[in-house]
Amino acid sequence: MHDKQFMRESLLQGAQAFQAGKMGRRSFLALCGMAGFASASVLAGRAEAAAGEIVMWNWGGQSEECHTSAIGNAFTAETGIPLKFDTSGPLQGKIKEMVDSGNVTADVCDGDLFDAVALGKTGHLEPIDYTVVDKAKTIDGYALEFGVSIILYGYAFMYDTQTYPDGAPSTWADFFDTTKFPGTRSLYKWANGSLEAALMADGVAKDALYPLDMDRALAKIKAIKADTIYWGSGAEAQQMIVNGEVSMGMVWQNRGRSIENDTNGRYKLVTNQAIAMPGAYIVPKGNPGGAAVMKFIATAQSVQAQLDLFACLGMTPTNPEAIAALAEADQPYSITSAANLPNVVMNDPTWWGENTDAAVNAFLAAIS
Amino acid sequence: MSALPRHVLNTGWILVLPFLVLVVALFLGPIVNILWLSVSEPTPGLGNYAKLFTSDSLGRIIGTTVRICVISTAISVALGYSIAYAMVHAADASRNKMLGLLLMSFWISVLVRTFSWLMLLGRNGVVNNGLEALGIISQPISFMRNELGVLIGMVHYMVPYAVLPILASMQSIDGRVVQASRSLGATGAQTFWRVYLPLTRAGIVAASLLVFIINLGFYVVPAVLGGGKVLMVAEYISVQVLVTLQWGTAAMLAALMLFGVLALLFLMSRFMKLSTVFGGGKA
Repeated sequence: MHDKQFMRESLLQGAQAFQAGKMGRRSFLALCGMAGFASASVLAGRAEAAAGEIVMWNWGGQSEECHTSAIGNAFTAETGIPLKFDTSGPLQGKIKEMVDSGNVTADVCDGDLFDAVALGKTGHLEPIDYTVVDKAKTIDGYALEFGVSIILYGYAFMYDTQTYPDGAPSTWADFFDTTKFPGTRSLYKWANGSLEAALMADGVAKDALYPLDMDRALAKIKAIKADTIYWGSGAEAQQMIVNGEVSMGMVWQNRGRSIENDTNGRYKLVTNQAIAMPGAYIVPKGNPGGAAVMKFIATAQSVQAQLDLFACLGMTPTNPEAIAALAEADQPYSITSAANLPNVVMNDPTWWGENTDAAVNAFLAAIS
Repeated sequence: MSALPRHVLNTGWILVLPFLVLVVALFLGPIVNILWLSVSEPTPGLGNYAKLFTSDSLGRIIGTTVRICVISTAISVALGYSIAYAMVHAADASRNKMLGLLLMSFWISVLVRTFSWLMLLGRNGVVNNGLEALGIISQPISFMRNELGVLIGMVHYMVPYAVLPILASMQSIDGRVVQASRSLGATGAQTFWRVYLPLTRAGIVAASLLVFIINLGFYVVPAVLGGGKVLMVAEYISVQVLVTLQWGTAAMLAALMLFGVLALLFLMSRFMKLSTVFGGGKA
């Protein structure tokens, strides 16, 4: 940042000197040229300048203030290291591009656990230091070499109580039954969750889902294609419901509560057979903040941070102690609460980490 | 040495040269990189291009893209032509107002337009609710979240782009040609079809090219208004880059779009002087 400021000041001084006739035209143009050429290296220098802070790469919206209040404040109070944000969304391709370019500007990504599997394998991530991060403070099987699950989101569906006044849909089989429950429905268009839902609707037991039978799932998806529209972002899913475009819609489970409130209870969340997705913190290889990021991840595992994240974003805690500490009224909206847990599917990040490319493309081919 | 013509090595060019080199490097560099990716990822060779012939879905996506782009271009240019015609024949004051409105529409972001269409024509939109209240329809009409929705959104965005080149070519027509045609006994319709329309051909071609090329890259409109069922090349490329990490496929499709557009320009250049189309010298 200092370099950039220096460059700006020199240019300003140069311009003044040129105006006053103290500097020749050539020298001034050369200075301009240098400043222009230098801007690329100044940008590259941002990564080094950032060493005294932790940069979290998340998805913007509310998450910036929620991550600050739930994790950032406690982390900064303890370590003196400030937390900054990049809210452009750490999709796999962007992380890969950042690491490949050698100009890594983020320390921790609010990603998925399947990202940890996919990008860990290709050498784009730093391993999680389990001497600092606690494996016991997450769900069994969700502490992997290159990523640890901090929160759970999930795929569930909501239905219009006015469209189905007698007998509400309660399973994915109902969701896929357009005769018994006519009306438009919505599914996630990047395959995740939609495939599991289709297989359960087709009669596959929730413990026998993985490895996913793609052909069977896609046949089920195609069968209701004429009555389905597909969303690409949580906001879009929410909008489809709030605007009354769908009678039944798949949503990110953590948004269910706010949609129920937005529609004055007209749409109801069904958590039966919801698919719990491990959201994970992953660290791009060569992160500028170094090992301090592990301390940040450990802070995010604390009971208080997890409860605050639940209150702020609706994301379910993964730390068993935090799950136990949830209030009674919050239980139905916590995907792994004692009441919900027997009926939810736990997503297999390894299957998705290894098969995302094929699954997403096959899904897109089936719905378009 | 003094014979060296001054305009060949104008000092201005020397000043501009470093920046020209920079622009060329920054522009061509990434394109070369894309071309390279398309033949080197994941394995060296033409495997990515072979997928065009072996994969049903790629063929279908390209087919959808071209079909939607052709239809939307045709509609946009037809509408643009009528608007330009009305503008040319309006009084100066109202023409300026019309031009102002036209240019203002460039300020409205594609996202705002897209979501406005959902509000207007969605299942619970103003139009459907209005028609239902009037008893004209009993079921909402599906304007949105399908191919029709994509076309409505794209045409709406592209009409102003179609108007400008056509307007320019109409403004350069000498009005006396039309008078001459009428004075020689041609009817209004004959004059339009045989005199006016041919004179605006360059404008129509320019508008069609411009609209078609921009259409090829549409991303937000099909993604939102298509309800996930209208998958066009731009969105597919983005998914391959960001989600499935098949950068080779993405680069191949990007290269295909690039060469498709270049081939289109080349074909056009066989039939007419492109410099006329883009407002260069008069033919």
